[in-house]
Amino acid sequence: MEILDIIKLIIAGIICWINFVLIDTYFGLPEKPGVLGAKTIGEKIKEIGGNLNGGYFMGNIVCSPDASAGTLLASIMNYLMGVKGGLIAALLVWIGNRLCADPGYAGTIGALTITLIIYLLHPIIGAKYFVGGMILAIFSIQGFEHKYASILLGKIAKKMNRGE
Amino acid sequence: MDIIEGVIGFIALLMVFRIFLTRSRARKLLYLCCLSFCISALIALYVKSPMGGIVAIIYFISSTLTSNAIAYTIEQVKDIE
Repeated sequence: MEILDIIKLIIAGIICWINFVLIDTYFGLPEKPGVLGAKTIGEKIKEIGGNLNGGYFMGNIVCSPDASAGTLLASIMNYLMGVKGGLIAALLVWIGNRLCADPGYAGTIGALTITLIIYLLHPIIGAKYFVGGMILAIFSIQGFEHKYASILLGKIAKKMNRGE
Repeated sequence: MDIIEGVIGFIALLMVFRIFLTRSRARKLLYLCCLSFCISALIALYVKSPMGGIVAIIYFISSTLTSNAIAYTIEQVKDIE
């Protein structure tokens, strides 16, 4: 039973990782720092030997609620309230984006896509696993090893024509 | 304790140690971002009610606003120096 839980957690983590990295890259997070603070973080990542575009991506996640925040908050609300909770989370993430002077497309769309994914997968993987999976996904980018994470994000950005 | 809560709590503790050990102020913000993800998830998993979800969202969005302000200040201080 424990092993099954762990496998579900890891699969949910991979789905969350793909969901928020693809949406954030598509909306151009690695291209330019959205706010001044993200620029500082990007340059710092470059100083320790990482990729500048990957650094901007990580700086933008810190400075404004993007698809990563949308994914976490929508999974939380799906766990507590079902599908309509996911829609409430999308609205609140949009308000948060506006407070941070961001257009707010990435966060809102991230919240809506994860709501759809949880709705489709809920007979197999419950919404609770997506909450834990999102923590694993953000840990792999922001908390584990900044240098290699930024290089990986830079490569993905290059492949999707977002960044040099 | 559930396995998901255990994993999230372990990651949160690990982040606290890394925040203390890192020298660079800009990189502390990255670990702090991961920590606020963990705290927000734990709030929702322990307070199992819609109000707990709203609290988690408000906590997370206001912590991003704070990080935004701190990162902006670090940039301004660099200019002054």
